[in-house]
Amino acid sequence: MQTTKPTVQKHGIKWFDSFTKVMLTVMVTLLVVIFISGKYMYAHDMEAGGTDDKVNTMATDVSKSEHHPFTELPGDAQVGAFSVANFFAGLIVGHHWEMLFCKRAPKEESSLEDQAE
Amino acid sequence: MHIEDGILSAQACAAYYAVTAGTLVPGVLEIKRKVSENTYYKPFLAMVGVSVFVISAMHLPVVVTGSCSHPCGTPLASIIIGPFASIVISTIVLFFQALFLGHGGITALGANTVSMGIVGSLSGFLTWKLFRACRSPLWLAAALAGFIGDLATYLASALELAISLHGNVPLVRQWMIFFMGYGPTQLPLAVAEAVFTAAVLQAMLSRRPDLLPNILTKREMMKRKGFNAND
Repeated sequence: MQTTKPTVQKHGIKWFDSFTKVMLTVMVTLLVVIFISGKYMYAHDMEAGGTDDKVNTMATDVSKSEHHPFTELPGDAQVGAFSVANFFAGLIVGHHWEMLFCKRAPKEESSLEDQAE
Repeated sequence: MHIEDGILSAQACAAYYAVTAGTLVPGVLEIKRKVSENTYYKPFLAMVGVSVFVISAMHLPVVVTGSCSHPCGTPLASIIIGPFASIVISTIVLFFQALFLGHGGITALGANTVSMGIVGSLSGFLTWKLFRACRSPLWLAAALAGFIGDLATYLASALELAISLHGNVPLVRQWMIFFMGYGPTQLPLAVAEAVFTAAVLQAMLSRRPDLLPNILTKREMMKRKGFNAND
């Protein structure tokens, strides 16, 4: 695993650099919106189901058939599947984002191209 | 727009698979060409592919309609990696979502790729190109691409259902009935996708404009480098 050595040695590791602050702000904002929306929908007896499922049901009402996803994930298995997928997706995006957009010391520029290949 | 198994007829599924297969060929060729042209294209492809996977599985609640839906991510992908490469990415994404996350069906994979991959990517990319050709600011062209690409995806999905299931009902009427199932929830999410598309593109360009050739005009590139375009 590569680290940006000059930054670590001269300035130490920053807990909250500007990138982390922006990302945390966006994440918290989205979570607050979801939380408030969820509370509102619960209080007003709204179903909060997905539109995909709603329209799929509308379609099968017309076709008089049964619709089903390829894989059924009951209960918390769905949360687990999404968490695993998103965790590793985040790692991959982060890895490539760092490779492409991270500010680097000049020495690392040459190794960047090797990694990209 | 994740149509599930058991809704579309076998003929319709086969037709959408054929359309998808037809667009995968130029997609693979576009990827091969860009990989040889741009060293950084491969990591972009990986990053964008995974991002589309997450974004198109991210169900967000919309209070006004009391339901949830998800953005697509394909308009942004088409701007960054190219419209046909974005279709290839979408096909892979939708396959894994059907296989592991219970999102959509395998028989409907072609239909879902047509709506999210082909229509989402091409409409977003054409909107982007059109507004850039009209010298629109970068953020505005990206935002409109995100907005139109998102809504076009759901219009296409509703049309696919209507074509298969309209029966004696006029096609346009059935199309609008299905779209009204998506539309009210999708409209605010299309606005969110517009903001997201513009913000991510701006963030990428502010850091490394050299990694995204053909996004900026020569004039904009020189301006960012601190040159006067009239010199």
